[in-house]
Amino acid sequence: MATRRVSRRQFLEGTGTALTVAAVAPALRAQPSPSAPGTRTSITLTVNGSKRTLEVEDRWTLVEALRDHIGLTGTKIGCDRGECGACTVLLDGKPVYSCSQLAIWADGRAVQTVEGLLNDPLQREFVAHDAPQCGYCTSGQLMSAKALLNTTPHPTADQARAAMTGNICRCSGYNHYVDAVVAAGNNAGGPRAFQASGSGSAESLAVQTSTIGALTTIGHATHRIDAVERTTGKATYSGDVMLPGMLYARVLRSPHPHARIVRIDASKALALPGVKAVVSNENCKVVWGAGSISGGAQYNEEIKKITKHRRYAFNNPVRFVGEPVAAVAAVDRHTAEEALQLIAVDYEPLPFVLDPEEALKPGAPQIWPEGNLSPNARNENVPIGAKRGNVDDGFAASDRVFEDRYSTSFVHNAQMEPRVCVAAWDADKLTVYTPTGGVANCRTDMARDLGIPPEKVRVVCRYMGGNFGNKNQNQDADLIAAVLAKNAGAPVKLELSRKEDFIGVHGRWPTAQYYKVGVKSDGTLQAIQLRGYSGMGPYRKNTGNIAGVELYQCPHIETSISPVYTNRTVSANFRGPEFPQGFFGIQSMMDDVAAKLNMDPVEFILKNMTRKAGDQTPYTSYSLDECIRRGAEAFEWKKRWRSRPGSDSGPIKRGAGVSFMAFRAGLGRSSAVIRVDAKGRYAVHVGVTDVGGGAKTTMGLIAAEELGVPLSQLDVVWGDTDRCPYSVGESGSRTTIMTGYAVVEAARDLKKQIAEKGLPTGDNVLIASANPNPTVQGKVRSTFGAHFVEVEVDAELGRVRVTKYLAVHDCGRIMNPLTARSQIKGGATMGIGMALHEDLVYDRRSGSPLSAGYYGARVATHRDAPEIEVIFIESDDGLGPFGAKSMGESSKVPSPAAVANAVFNAIGVRMKDLPITREKIVAALAGREVRA
Amino acid sequence: MRAFTNASPRDVSHAMTLVTDARKANRTVALAGGGSDLLGMMKERLVTPDVFISLKSIQGLDQVKPAPGGGVTIGGLITLDALAHAAVIRERYTVLAEAAESVATPQIRNVGTLAGNICQRPWCWYYRNGFKCLKNGGNTCYSVTGENEFHAIFGGGPSYIVHPSDTAPALVALDATFRIVGPAGERNVPAGEFFTLPAADASRENVLKDGEMLASITLPSARKNVRSTYHKVLDREAWTHAVVSAAILLEMEKDTCRSARVVLGGVAPIPWRLPEVEKLLVGQRVTPDMAAKAGEAAVSGARPLAKNGYKVPLTRAVVARTLSGMTREG
Repeated sequence: MATRRVSRRQFLEGTGTALTVAAVAPALRAQPSPSAPGTRTSITLTVNGSKRTLEVEDRWTLVEALRDHIGLTGTKIGCDRGECGACTVLLDGKPVYSCSQLAIWADGRAVQTVEGLLNDPLQREFVAHDAPQCGYCTSGQLMSAKALLNTTPHPTADQARAAMTGNICRCSGYNHYVDAVVAAGNNAGGPRAFQASGSGSAESLAVQTSTIGALTTIGHATHRIDAVERTTGKATYSGDVMLPGMLYARVLRSPHPHARIVRIDASKALALPGVKAVVSNENCKVVWGAGSISGGAQYNEEIKKITKHRRYAFNNPVRFVGEPVAAVAAVDRHTAEEALQLIAVDYEPLPFVLDPEEALKPGAPQIWPEGNLSPNARNENVPIGAKRGNVDDGFAASDRVFEDRYSTSFVHNAQMEPRVCVAAWDADKLTVYTPTGGVANCRTDMARDLGIPPEKVRVVCRYMGGNFGNKNQNQDADLIAAVLAKNAGAPVKLELSRKEDFIGVHGRWPTAQYYKVGVKSDGTLQAIQLRGYSGMGPYRKNTGNIAGVELYQCPHIETSISPVYTNRTVSANFRGPEFPQGFFGIQSMMDDVAAKLNMDPVEFILKNMTRKAGDQTPYTSYSLDECIRRGAEAFEWKKRWRSRPGSDSGPIKRGAGVSFMAFRAGLGRSSAVIRVDAKGRYAVHVGVTDVGGGAKTTMGLIAAEELGVPLSQLDVVWGDTDRCPYSVGESGSRTTIMTGYAVVEAARDLKKQIAEKGLPTGDNVLIASANPNPTVQGKVRSTFGAHFVEVEVDAELGRVRVTKYLAVHDCGRIMNPLTARSQIKGGATMGIGMALHEDLVYDRRSGSPLSAGYYGARVATHRDAPEIEVIFIESDDGLGPFGAKSMGESSKVPSPAAVANAVFNAIGVRMKDLPITREKIVAALAGREVRA
Repeated sequence: MRAFTNASPRDVSHAMTLVTDARKANRTVALAGGGSDLLGMMKERLVTPDVFISLKSIQGLDQVKPAPGGGVTIGGLITLDALAHAAVIRERYTVLAEAAESVATPQIRNVGTLAGNICQRPWCWYYRNGFKCLKNGGNTCYSVTGENEFHAIFGGGPSYIVHPSDTAPALVALDATFRIVGPAGERNVPAGEFFTLPAADASRENVLKDGEMLASITLPSARKNVRSTYHKVLDREAWTHAVVSAAILLEMEKDTCRSARVVLGGVAPIPWRLPEVEKLLVGQRVTPDMAAKAGEAAVSGARPLAKNGYKVPLTRAVVARTLSGMTREG
């Protein structure tokens, strides 16, 4: 290897003629000499056609410069690591991750952000196709799509997917984004009729029913009332809030899964110029009531007060890797990060345990003094149990008895908006801008935890980038921000990184499920026994239960579910908290029983599915059989299901699987206030924040229907506890039913007032307020559904592809078929991810999570998502607002089970541990004869 | 991120001056092409350079040009997107175009450079989560007794990372030559000698010394009747690095193989060339039976760890399937 000095002349001569000229950006202005760190350099870049000059630090990213220093907050930060696409902008016309570019590199270049799209046909198509749900990924999707249309004016669906596959969407299932882009290519220019075209699949917005009459406003596809804001970068999320004098905060987190904090020395951090406050367990004893509740009874204020296993904002000992240890507020985020490096912490590591079954063994490290079985709402250390009949009698009466074990992994909500909080005090009144699905609940929590009256707390959430269950109530981030703001005497913005959001918030509890099932030889269930273990992390933030047994008609059942403390990231709500895990376990088990009896799984389900709740109590309306039969027919089940699983020859094998659901749709308390002025304009005040499900629009539709006015005649007022009444909080699929019902009652009251007094005159208004708490007497109210999935498995490469997916749902009356369809698709896509990819892998020796974040969790992209078909079967049981039932969680709940059952049908091997990864399939099939 | 100074050099010799100046001032240096991966690592504080030399400001190092002797020279700073779309690469060196377009996502390919992709640090989750290991000054490989699902089945020890680059196996298959430029001068290294086995030096993945950059890559003249392809098996359809990949080049004479290059990704700390498989194919028709035999031969000598045994049948299948796909009629 000869070396030689390269002279400048030789170098220039050596370049010769270019064969191809790569698309090269205009010359970057090379700096004459590097400047010292911390100093600023003047750069000039063109943003959306206008020249901007600003002074930047070398370490500022482009997205930071755009959002915080140019004020263009339409571009979002989803992960700050180039793993999600939310920050996509066009740099000299090409889509790039602006989080992964330094601002200084943009000197002399042209940047286009979402704010640079002006009434673009693409935006109109996004709105028309209901592509944005929570809207947080939308700006990035738009920019990638825009770049595609600039070069490929009439893209196919595949081209759209390929161009946008670097943009993750967690809400939507992707189909509508693709449809919108293809439509934009077909309908270039001009206003268009509002119609979902559906690329390839015959998708009509007509709901396939039935027996209930049509209404005026409800039941017709309606754009979200804030779709335009979400599609133009104008929606203000919590992280977009900028207040004068605002400081930035960062949290120092435990590197140990279990450790006593011996000493914290923050003196060097406090001495760093620009640092305004440091808090830790030494000077902050705030209790986080919602972070740990006996029995996991989230919405019960009394229990939060008597919970023994108290969780503080800062705990000592720390009990999982990622637990907060200290937090800093400083003049900018970089100074805050530097300050964290200067906090010295002495830890005394303690023994730890990661697995729930291990944690219950004698000799396991005790995370709490009374042991690792988490206590119930009465502070008793007993498992959750249910019983009907006597399973021993049941097994005795069975012709065949089967036993097996199934397991599911921790999966994270992975909502696009990472946790953030802006806290500001005005004398003794606290305002928090935080992405919470329950502003009222968050306010109650903040007031209780900080020991101040609720009237002294205002919670604002104008737009939120998804949560799927991890943003109801308050979060420790809100408390830490509030305390820092108080100590520093200035507003504080606390931002969590994506990794912090993965390990510092919570996700779905992992489970181990042991089933024993007894059947007659004709397949009739006699007995079901379930012994289950749920890994809750070291704090009990939700029930830890495992649902599914209630799906079946069976004389004898017995369950014993142990929610167990472990030294892992906390487990709590995620879209059907107890359900997808249990439904996967029990419906795989039953699918396996059916296979061993040589029964078609659809027949097995029709024979054994629940017909009365608990085999006793009638449902308010029942359509489970119809969901299954109609779905099987539309899906062509008989054609796609292999009566001999794994029988396709060759390495590429197809198969079909089915799952079904019955899920809560009960009534409950919520509030609404409606006001009308002299112009006949209505304002509907509801405490919703619209997590992405379209709650604002739904409440508007319900009000419009009941009031008998068009939607355009009313405004929905939301997302601010100073202006809105209590709402149950957008989790548990309750908002449409409960808050919607309150809207109906308030509307009725207002109509009565108008009938009595006439419309107001001048500056007067009429106001109606409702706070109903309806219950269902003597019956159980459920939503029903069935999922049918066909997969293609490459047995040698271990790859699973979903080739057909049909979701059938009875969600009562559909309020808005446009947004309803989006919800179902999003949940099903999440379920596919849970079945095939998602996990949080821990290193056992250090107790450290290894795969936190979008890359590690393998969250599905455009190219991973199949077309999901949806059939709604409507019913109206006379309850809820116009017969609406729950929907938000419905499609996640049965999805993993259907996918897993399809995989079994394709390969003939039962995969019992989620996720069903490539490694597991290849390992299971390796060595088996594969006939060419 | 820790504060640093960005330097955007005018040309290669300016870049080298910046390197030597930094050294003289006792400041640490990192060289970057697109910068995406390096910025990510800096945000995690896995690396904390004082000076960040952003090479993309250098003009003229991002093109594909004819090389003396009939091949092509590719500037190291060419983006993966430009490389994937360069006509001469697509037509005559297809495996490289396919490898380039399989990387990550469109946004990353629009800024990520070929040199950056080749020199990318490992994506082992121990390394990326800051464990003090052989790759960052420690003396252990945590994967050995830990979560080694994605680690090496060939060539491992004492570190078991797999090389994360897609373009690297393609370049080894193409018999590329790398031109390295450093403060002390320049040198040419064949692709097959550029990558470093951990047994030789576990702290690095290639022979670049501190302050050296990969300036250009030269491919020999493409022979006639050569077909080549890159087959990448990955979890999800974007972003994820190869679980197993194969860069295969066949020089055919009618339907008989005259010569072959078979190089694997995702299975070893370096692009893993399979000379035994290559020899097996010479003079043979690549029938399904032959492809299966090649697959068998590909995994001979594999030494899986506790959790990555599935990579053995997977590798066998990838090699067989790729070969069959390349020679199927119609």
